[in-house]
Amino acid sequence: MSRYIFGRILGMIPILVIISILSFLFVHLTPGDPIRIMYGAEMDMATYEKVKANLGFHDPLYVQYGRYLQQILSGDFGVSYKTKTNVSDEIGKRFLYTLGLTFAAMFWALIIGLVVGIYSAARRKSIWDRIGIISTTTIISIPEFWFGLMLMQMFAVQLGWFPTSGSGTFAHLLLPSITLGFGVSAIIARFTRSSVLEVLQEDFVRTAKAKGQRESVIIWTHVLRNALIPVITMTGLQFGFLLGGAVVVEQVFAWPGLGSYLIDSVLARDYPAMQALILLFSVQFLIVNLLVDISYSLVNPQIRYE
Amino acid sequence: MRRRVSLLTVSFLMATAMLSACTSNSGQPPPTSGPAPGNAQQQEVPAKAVRNAELIVALEAEATSLDPWNSTDSNTLHILSTMFEGLLTLDENGEVVPILATDYKLSADATSLTFHLRKGIFFHDGSPFDAEVVKKNLDYVRNKENGMARASFFGFIKEVTVVDPYTITVTANEPNSAMVAYMAHPSASFKSLKELQKKIDDPKYNLDRNPVGTGPYQFLEWKNGQFVKVVAFDGYWDKEKPAKLAAILFKPVTEASTRVNMLKVGEVDIVTSLPTLDARTIGKDANLDVYSGPSLNMIYVGMNTKLDKYKDKRVRQAMNYAINKEQLISQVADGYGTAADSPLSPLVKGYAKQQGYPYNVDKAKQLLTEAGYPDGFAATLWTRNSTEFVAIAENIKMQLQAVGIKVEVQAYESGTIFERLDAGEGTDLYIGRWGTGTAEADWGMRPNFASDRIPPNYNNSGYYQNQQVDQLLNEALKATDNSMAQKKYIEAQKVIMDEAPWIFLYVPDVVIAKRKNVLDVGVTLDTVRLQAAYKQ
Repeated sequence: MSRYIFGRILGMIPILVIISILSFLFVHLTPGDPIRIMYGAEMDMATYEKVKANLGFHDPLYVQYGRYLQQILSGDFGVSYKTKTNVSDEIGKRFLYTLGLTFAAMFWALIIGLVVGIYSAARRKSIWDRIGIISTTTIISIPEFWFGLMLMQMFAVQLGWFPTSGSGTFAHLLLPSITLGFGVSAIIARFTRSSVLEVLQEDFVRTAKAKGQRESVIIWTHVLRNALIPVITMTGLQFGFLLGGAVVVEQVFAWPGLGSYLIDSVLARDYPAMQALILLFSVQFLIVNLLVDISYSLVNPQIRYE
Repeated sequence: MRRRVSLLTVSFLMATAMLSACTSNSGQPPPTSGPAPGNAQQQEVPAKAVRNAELIVALEAEATSLDPWNSTDSNTLHILSTMFEGLLTLDENGEVVPILATDYKLSADATSLTFHLRKGIFFHDGSPFDAEVVKKNLDYVRNKENGMARASFFGFIKEVTVVDPYTITVTANEPNSAMVAYMAHPSASFKSLKELQKKIDDPKYNLDRNPVGTGPYQFLEWKNGQFVKVVAFDGYWDKEKPAKLAAILFKPVTEASTRVNMLKVGEVDIVTSLPTLDARTIGKDANLDVYSGPSLNMIYVGMNTKLDKYKDKRVRQAMNYAINKEQLISQVADGYGTAADSPLSPLVKGYAKQQGYPYNVDKAKQLLTEAGYPDGFAATLWTRNSTEFVAIAENIKMQLQAVGIKVEVQAYESGTIFERLDAGEGTDLYIGRWGTGTAEADWGMRPNFASDRIPPNYNNSGYYQNQQVDQLLNEALKATDNSMAQKKYIEAQKVIMDEAPWIFLYVPDVVIAKRKNVLDVGVTLDTVRLQAAYKQ
């Protein structure tokens, strides 16, 4: 197992190099001049050239990339053009907010998704199953932006139960995490349902039924262990997406996480921050994927990696 | 499950109700704006209100920098104005008044400006304010080696001379009657010499994050993405106007609906840049006040005068006649704006109402025919991709179609559109917004219409060149007496209006909202001033 993990981590290195090159190129080729955005419409050429030189833009792209690579290898992501603060520090502070939001969202998503999915599968073709399918389809198609504003309107403005936005307390976390978790819960519910249904067709389930075991026991002890494998993959992927920036939800609820940081950075063409965030999101994805693969063997010990 | 379904139903119903509430009024003139907060009658501040409260302000974006020389966005000015002061400032009526100076005098030939400084003023870090501080500050910002965003703004200065510890003279490169207004701009604020020295000693020292001024509030904390907090400064020099709040918290909230919701539930006390769509509903709330009034901004459609089709003045005039500005304002700004009758906002010193272009399709068609375009032509209109700008673009497209001009709207993110305009390739029509930060005519016209302000990196992106305009602007700047300068500015506005290098659209209103218990909030030329604000 440890050899497998080590191998996977080694395999990530070339991927990361490619990502770093691509992200560097994308960021530098994005239309929009960061200096012009920072300094407004009326700037003279002398100041412009001075700032350009200070930022190292006079060098050819490959030289700039080399410098960037050297910098990140020493663990430094540079200084933000916009905030003039260290990008690594900023990411460090914001990462916890996004991580908190993601975990809370996944918590809602898993609870709702698994319960609805398993229940729908167990009561296949019943009225509850149909309601489950219809409502999850509806939820998937609701824009997060609108859903978030509606939750805010109801629970914060009308009922006054929660703060509208911002961060700091557990109450601040509820509405954004529910907004974010809801869409994912629908995906998980549908995945769980079809996966459980598939396993219910297997021979060993029929055997168990023939032995006279209760259905609930069959589902909890036999079916889920097998049915959860694809669900874990799906959950992992969703987790990666969420962690990669819950952009819309963070904007709506003024949540100071990486999603809103990404938006601010892109609008300001803050190259160091943009590059660091893209790279970070890629690393997160790779790590989440690895963890997903490892977790298969925990759920079903018959799966082993050599 | 049932609860979820019912939640959805309720949400749908509420959304529908909200939408109908929002749209039912559009097209009508906006409700009369409340009294300008700055003009509110001075009430005696109740003793217990003194420094008892924290005021929370929602801004549409995070500050870019807390260094007055390194920020050019109006959003940041709301924060800076609580901490920094300059030698001069503008009062609610846009008149120049001294603050850190006791008086000032422009020389007879308009080449030098002498200030007598107020004594006994200390910065938040305890260091004194004197002529040396002013000189070091101005020398630093205008030195291009230091790469400050406002370097070009102070480019008019040739030399700063300390006459005595409390007298200083600013000499201009050439006669410049506008320099008084420049020195009254919020960018011309002064920071402690101690701080400046730290920056000089270590170029990496971050002045953007260490604001030390002389204002009634001093900097406490800036938490990225969350807030900037300033607190009352006990050593403030003007004992008659001390800070009345314990602290002010500025929160960036990019989503407009969220800002509005925060205000409704009382999580924030003031919202700047209120969406006009929400202004009506908020105005009806018994706990809230809406203030609206003209801004220093001008919304316009620029045209590339290098292109054959726009070389003929009649075509440019025809396009001005073809736009119904009132309809545009009512449809895209919910009535919160004033049709342009000059290249300048009425708030700008030197503004003079001109013969505008009343909506007249027949006249437009006639002019186009005379210019050889009886069937119109095809054009591309660049706009920023924000809702407001796209709405303007679509409206312009629709209106120009009526005179045969077929417009294709292309929306870009703002950074991209700047770059395209700077590159000067493929520019046809573009929607622009210019804010005359200094509130005087030179800054309102020179950057947009002077021959030497064509791209890259300047705002005359339509490549408009007119010797008469250049001459008038230069003469006005050199004019030593006010009435002569004024005459030249009026003439320049007349020529520009007649030449029509832009489609002059409208001056949008500043719309802010606050809770009723917040008093003495000032709006001086687009900047929300909180120095005197307090909560009841």
